Amino acid sequence: MIVAEKKPFDEISGMLAGFDKVLTVGCKTCVAVCLAGGEKEAVLLNKELMLARKVAGKPIETGAALVERQCDMEFLAELDDIVGQYDAIVSMACGAGVQFMAERYPEKPVFPGVNTTFIGVNRDVGWYEEKCRSCGNCLLGVTGGICPITMCAKSLMNGPCGGTNQTSCEINKDQPCAWYAIYKRLAGQNRLDNILKITEIMDWRNNVPRTIVQPGYEQRKAAFSEK
Amino acid sequence: MNADKKIIRIATDVLVIGGGTAGVAAANEVAGKGYKVVLTSKEDKVAQETKNGVIADMVAKAEANADIEIMKNTVVAKVMGVPGDFAVTLKTGDKAVERKFGAIVVATGLTTKVLNDAYGLELGPKVISQSQLEALLAQGKLESGKTVAFLVGFGQDGNPLVMERVLDSLTALGKVAETDAYVFVGDIKLAADGLDQLYAQARQEGVIYFKTTDAPKVSVDGDAMCISILDPVLRQQVEVAPDLIVVEEAILADEDNAALAEPLQIEADKNGFLQPDNVHYFPVKSTRLGIFVAGAARDLLSVEQGIQDAGNVALEVKKFLGDGNLEVPSNTAFVDVDKCTVCLTCYRCCPHGAIFWDSRAIIAEAACQGCGICASECPNDAIQLGDYADEAMAKAIQDGQGTSGKSPWIVAFCCKNSGLEAVNMAKTFGYRVPAGLQAIEVPCAGKIDMDYVMDAFVQGADGVMLLTCHNGNCKSDKGALYASWRAAEIKKMLASVGLPEDRLVCASLANNMGRKFSEISVEMERSIKKASS
Repeated sequence: MIVAEKKPFDEISGMLAGFDKVLTVGCKTCVAVCLAGGEKEAVLLNKELMLARKVAGKPIETGAALVERQCDMEFLAELDDIVGQYDAIVSMACGAGVQFMAERYPEKPVFPGVNTTFIGVNRDVGWYEEKCRSCGNCLLGVTGGICPITMCAKSLMNGPCGGTNQTSCEINKDQPCAWYAIYKRLAGQNRLDNILKITEIMDWRNNVPRTIVQPGYEQRKAAFSEK
Repeated sequence: MNADKKIIRIATDVLVIGGGTAGVAAANEVAGKGYKVVLTSKEDKVAQETKNGVIADMVAKAEANADIEIMKNTVVAKVMGVPGDFAVTLKTGDKAVERKFGAIVVATGLTTKVLNDAYGLELGPKVISQSQLEALLAQGKLESGKTVAFLVGFGQDGNPLVMERVLDSLTALGKVAETDAYVFVGDIKLAADGLDQLYAQARQEGVIYFKTTDAPKVSVDGDAMCISILDPVLRQQVEVAPDLIVVEEAILADEDNAALAEPLQIEADKNGFLQPDNVHYFPVKSTRLGIFVAGAARDLLSVEQGIQDAGNVALEVKKFLGDGNLEVPSNTAFVDVDKCTVCLTCYRCCPHGAIFWDSRAIIAEAACQGCGICASECPNDAIQLGDYADEAMAKAIQDGQGTSGKSPWIVAFCCKNSGLEAVNMAKTFGYRVPAGLQAIEVPCAGKIDMDYVMDAFVQGADGVMLLTCHNGNCKSDKGALYASWRAAEIKKMLASVGLPEDRLVCASLANNMGRKFSEISVEMERSIKKASS
């Protein structure tokens, strides 16, 4: 899932200075699961805002809403009837959701309520680890299911650097060396020959926003774009 | 596979959108069938001024009918729900009300665009649009003793509606003293009731027509205007110095159509009219059950044609709403809520607007036509369709393997409306059909999962056929299209696993094309045998 963390309150409060009617919208999917931007967090943020503004003598009116996914326009459309009642929106979704919300309501200032941090897994309640950088060219098949792009500080793709340090990374002894972990995993599966395969360097240049049309949907997209 | 039927209750009030003549006529006809009607007009009046009294009578009749509620200055803000149970938000100024309707009739009008750019002319006091002339004539403000020149049919393809306006203006001009009228025309389209007569009458009264293929040269020098043209009859240059030039206007679909199509979930054609070019929808159906289109909302139609549509609309509304007890197949698509992740794929793909969602996808029984496009597109296989559930289809394929025993084994997934009939016809008429052919019925080609096709190959089929309706003749509008898209994708898969692409054929057949089916199936058999010999 996409993992986010709540933005510092002062930052949110600063962005909302001058707005007296604010709608905070939670997202029911990734950010709800990682306990950063679900309904509960949206309502809590509103309470925090109301309290802070009350203390400052500038009361604020807030509303909270929850949508299934802020990355689908149809779900955002469910807010059409209430958005007009507010001066600004705080989206508790990931960066994609915030931007889609801002696209849906271009007249309305939309502010992020969370920092979108990584694609990761849930270790325990409230505890998440990054696992994927969405590089677009998955190597996990040859690296024993451990991602060197994410786990190696240098994102090396063909073995460790000279700084590998007794199972740890040179940056920090608490950070495991990705390539040591890959070696151990492959050795355990008798697939060490994989480690000798040369992986071509990733072309990180000229990154532009990516668009994907799934196989089988190119013609559908073309048919719909004609209209 | 005759599905059992069941009865559900639906709403029977009818919303008619559009206060033009087609809307008023539809409201009268629908109310005449015993339904309560709400008629909305975005303006503060209903129906336009007219050249005869028929329309005024119609409006009076609607206003007097207790079953017709006329809401002026009102627009449709939101449409939720499904056929038989639409929840429509109507906005009058700032005031919004939500009303329930069983059916909706869209009767929007036409809009015009003056084509002065096509003639390189700027509008002004002496160069005016057709609409401006009509207004002058209606108000009796056109001075007498003028020479008026019309430019028509060079800025666009001619059509009878455009010509009718010119002819009506010529008739009115005839009543203004000492007026000379010239019509410079590209093509004269008169294919509508009474236009020939108007045209001839104008000629008799002294109107001069110049019909040429090349647009006339128009020069405007201060107050002096000159139109010059090579007359094809006299074969010489003719010049006319008019006092007034009237420029033609394009007649276009209502600009509100696009904004209505979206919430109504109906398809607009490329010109912005709300009926696709598919014979199944004629005369007044839209792509969505329970939503009907009348008059200029569906095509470039005249006022008279719009009034004629009203009767058809009333019949279709009655056919759908009946007495409010709607018989539906108990075999409609079903959502497994545990599997559904509300990805909205089904909602976006359903050609019937039958799917909405709460916390999970919901398929409205009143609107589902059982085509199965949703079931075949659902990424979680969370939707199953009655007799055509995935398990039943897998079993049908497996059974075919055991019983056919003939080689090569060819599995043909057949739309029951077309392909299956063609196969049956081929067999009945004794056309050649491969011995190892297994025909499997699907409700629509849109129900042919990629998974079924691959399953057939995995089970050992030598060839697979997808037999669809022709595009534009599919009862679910897009079923054949979806099948062709999936076939293209499966061909790529076949290529990547090293099977010849011709092991899969996607063909569109009409139900009387048994001969064609015989040809393509025998060709497939021949090609498979040749490859294996």
